[in-house]
Amino acid sequence: MSRETTRLRSPLVEIDDINLESVDVSRLQPVGQRPPLGVYVRSLWDRRHFIVADSRARAFSGNRDTLLGNAWLVGRPILDGAAYFIIFGVLLGTSRGVDNFIGFLLVGVFMFSFTSRCLTGGAGVMSSGKNLIRAFSFPRAAIPIAMVLRETISMLPVIATMLVMVVAIPPHASITWRWALFPLVFLLQVMFNAGLVFYAARITSAIPDLRMVLGFVSRFWLYGSGVMFSLERFITHPTVLEVIQFNPAYCVLELSRDLLVYGQTPELTLWLTLGAWAVATPVLGFLYFWQAEEDYGRE
Amino acid sequence: MSEAVNDVVNHDVSAPGGPAGSEGDPDAPDAPKKGIEVPVGDPTVLVNHLSVHYRVPSSERARGAQSRAARMLARFGWSRTVTVKAVRDVTFVARAGESIGVVGHNGSGKSTLLRVIAGLETPTAGTVLASATPSFLGVNAALLPEMSGMANVRLGLLAMGMTPARVKDTIPEVLELAGLGSSIHLPMKTYSSGMGARLRFAISAAARPEILLIDEALATGDAATKQRSEAKMADIRKQAGTVFLVSHAAQTIEEMCTRAIWLHEGEMVLDGPAYETARAYRWWAWNVAKGEHRKAEGLLEDARAQLRATHVAAHDSTTQRYIARHRHI
Repeated sequence: MSRETTRLRSPLVEIDDINLESVDVSRLQPVGQRPPLGVYVRSLWDRRHFIVADSRARAFSGNRDTLLGNAWLVGRPILDGAAYFIIFGVLLGTSRGVDNFIGFLLVGVFMFSFTSRCLTGGAGVMSSGKNLIRAFSFPRAAIPIAMVLRETISMLPVIATMLVMVVAIPPHASITWRWALFPLVFLLQVMFNAGLVFYAARITSAIPDLRMVLGFVSRFWLYGSGVMFSLERFITHPTVLEVIQFNPAYCVLELSRDLLVYGQTPELTLWLTLGAWAVATPVLGFLYFWQAEEDYGRE
Repeated sequence: MSEAVNDVVNHDVSAPGGPAGSEGDPDAPDAPKKGIEVPVGDPTVLVNHLSVHYRVPSSERARGAQSRAARMLARFGWSRTVTVKAVRDVTFVARAGESIGVVGHNGSGKSTLLRVIAGLETPTAGTVLASATPSFLGVNAALLPEMSGMANVRLGLLAMGMTPARVKDTIPEVLELAGLGSSIHLPMKTYSSGMGARLRFAISAAARPEILLIDEALATGDAATKQRSEAKMADIRKQAGTVFLVSHAAQTIEEMCTRAIWLHEGEMVLDGPAYETARAYRWWAWNVAKGEHRKAEGLLEDARAQLRATHVAAHDSTTQRYIARHRHI
């Protein structure tokens, strides 16, 4: 074997003995070096049970300090919706010209809350997972994926509430066959959000200050996505309107409203735009996240 | 106030940390407790010329400003940050089967050294190579503070890549090693730091990591728990693992390790068998505590003189001969 520690009589012998260690470095690697992508993805797949367990753990700790607990998942968007209804619907009168403004608003607020929660959650996800990251070695992407999974699962009762409210509150939306297409919109939104979380997780773990900026971005995005008013009514400039059509959150909202509230078949361009976002964002986001794999445990 | 008098007094009383042999008869008549010896194998960690410097803000004026330029800048109000040399040019090779204790005063760079080996910190200079990703047990207590100890065990085992079936089989072993009794069902934030450390050690040890880094843990617990932990550590080492233990309680190192490294202000003072090294450190620390600074300085010099500088000759067996490629697999 290669472990003979030879004592050499070196030129320095007057000063000191030298302990010559002959080391075979073929088995050794720099610590914390990220594995190649293929190995990484495979070990991520091996951690699928961990991802599920971690997402459950987060579900447990999320709303635990409040009296109503997980009821706030539904309560928050309802209160948000009520506030927007009073300000934008009643006081500012942006509801004029919008059919079924309540349905419009409900879908907007509920669906957008998913993306914005993912964005802000992704901003803090690496620091909240720091204990686990330092204690165990596992592909760090498990942490943001667990967060997306958690948000997705907690979104299900929220969506159920939204559907009930859209139908129950006058003017009632009618259930059509198009409702069957809605899960596809939700799936695309989940995929897009996952990519978003990867990006948010990496940039905020590198520069924590961006957490503040992301809160601002989220709010700006809220107004730019036509959550509580119809963008078409307020934006007259054709180029700006065209740019807005590329906004993935806008696509999600428009598609959901067409399918659920207005019983229309949405335009193909909306589907294609959202589909492109839903494929490109998670793939690029995952690569971007993986590139800083070594850095997440560092201080 | 003469130091000579104090010296004589010191020779008369039996010092608790006195090195065996040099200071009369050792205080324990029976053989002292030492770490469990395990056959030593291939290198697992190579630390080569490692230095870690921090630039930290300081309210003290220009204390760390050694260079002329730094002193110059200090005059222009840049003295807010000083360079702290937490680890200075440390070189050693750790091998499978060894349990290496790192001793030193507070702020001697022990924890920094361990965190660099864990890959949690980037060294300023030098390299750290390891045969596997090290498991690190730091001083922070809880993993997921809101959740019960049991849930943390499950999550930790899954994080290390176990299947749910294996987790089920492993949990009893972890619980026995942690020895927390019914507290295992309480949220982890209610644990004392000793309890948390024990639990995390039990979780990490269950996966038998190749390299286990323990920072100031395991010092607590009753004798039985301590013994179980030590047996577990020996287990890991028998399976070609290496354990690092950082503690400023040198007795823990003396009892649980086979080799020890003494760090003083980031510099490696001594690297040798745990018992002798830890004893030398304790004798030095005892003199420092008694205010015998000149004597302590002398002891430090003696230790430095004994240190044999390590030179690493790295070679790669996979590039030499074809057969060698299969040797380690």
